[in-house]
Amino acid sequence: MDRIQVPRRQLLRRHFLQLSGLSSVSLLLGGCGTPLFEDLVGKVSEPLNQKVETLLFNPEKFAPEFPVSAIEPEALIINSFNFTPQIDPAQFRLVVDGAVNKSLSLSMAEIQQMPLTSMVIRHVCVEGWAAIVQWGGVRLRDIIHLAQPKTEAKYVYFKSADGYYESWDLASCMHPQTLMAYQKNGESLPVENGAPLRLASPIKLGYKQSKWVTNIILSDRLLPVKGYWEDQGYEWYAGL
Amino acid sequence: MQAIAAKIFHWVNIISLFIMLTSGLQIYNANPVFGGRAGWHIPPIFTLGGWLAGGRHWHFAAMWLFSLNLLWYGVYVLVTRRWRHRFVSDKDIKALRLSQNQQRRAYAWHRIVYTAIIPILLLAIFSGIGMYKPAQFHWIVDCFGDWQALRVVHFVTVPIVVIFSLTHFLLGRRVGGDRLIESMFW
Repeated sequence: MDRIQVPRRQLLRRHFLQLSGLSSVSLLLGGCGTPLFEDLVGKVSEPLNQKVETLLFNPEKFAPEFPVSAIEPEALIINSFNFTPQIDPAQFRLVVDGAVNKSLSLSMAEIQQMPLTSMVIRHVCVEGWAAIVQWGGVRLRDIIHLAQPKTEAKYVYFKSADGYYESWDLASCMHPQTLMAYQKNGESLPVENGAPLRLASPIKLGYKQSKWVTNIILSDRLLPVKGYWEDQGYEWYAGL
Repeated sequence: MQAIAAKIFHWVNIISLFIMLTSGLQIYNANPVFGGRAGWHIPPIFTLGGWLAGGRHWHFAAMWLFSLNLLWYGVYVLVTRRWRHRFVSDKDIKALRLSQNQQRRAYAWHRIVYTAIIPILLLAIFSGIGMYKPAQFHWIVDCFGDWQALRVVHFVTVPIVVIFSLTHFLLGRRVGGDRLIESMFW
């Protein structure tokens, strides 16, 4: 009787390795164009990144300022999440409350009587573009000092007339270049840029810089609700 | 047979670089470096993260893997004195000028190419730090002139690194065959 010939199907080491290499490449490629656990990756890496960002942040260090001639008026793209609210500056009030000893309700006239700070800085958007822009306004830290923050205050929430909301760490709010601005490029702040009053700072990404701010709330903690974009997955600290 | 360190380095480098490139192209699409929003967008097949924040999550997670891998390997190459004979030297330049031996010439080209990848990777990290923290490291932005120049440099490291990696692979195979390529990973 003839012996039955069994075809040799031995998987050579080399072929096995080639196959496993190919399959891992296809796993990687298969993830392209998809989120592929991006939310999980963000949750794992953000605490570490935020620690490093906080360490890098020097609360006394000035971000570079530029000459007026460097202003790029066309480069500042208008990004708003919803609509442009029309606010009567005569009726406008900036309310400061929360973890403060003295709640405030400031009119534009009162805010404009406070010392004016002007800066020409680079405004950097999360999308990757940047624009040299001049902002003029009141240092946020002057307003916070007026309200006499309680010692437990660590975070600051900002509410806007269009429903936008944001939260910052107190240290970044106390930075000398963090302004509540009512001027842009030497003129009154245009309504689409946040008139009558907006946040402006060279140390945070653009989405942190709320427009049409009506309410500043100091807090001892960061709530699960952190900010319009943050609640959809954007990074909270977003320091530059 | 390669040192286990070289194998680990190559694995981590190729995976982390792949994540950096694809997530970087996702971020690019939020506002293309060339032409802004009206500019040409990268097809989704080459992107990772699904949207801007997802791309940034992957990018700023893999940056640690990518840069720390480069760092420990650099230290290893220095400490073990491999830098003295593992990278391009004047002998390779001499061979390219004088030698007619095609194999020796390919070897010299290969050493030039893979040595050149190192400064390209370092440039990607350097320009990336400038974009990530332009207020704290504004001198990095100044090194490149302005913001747009910085963006262009950071982006251009992508095609350069892809071309050099492919050339590294092809020349490596020409010099040492599949055995050399496989020995770098397994």
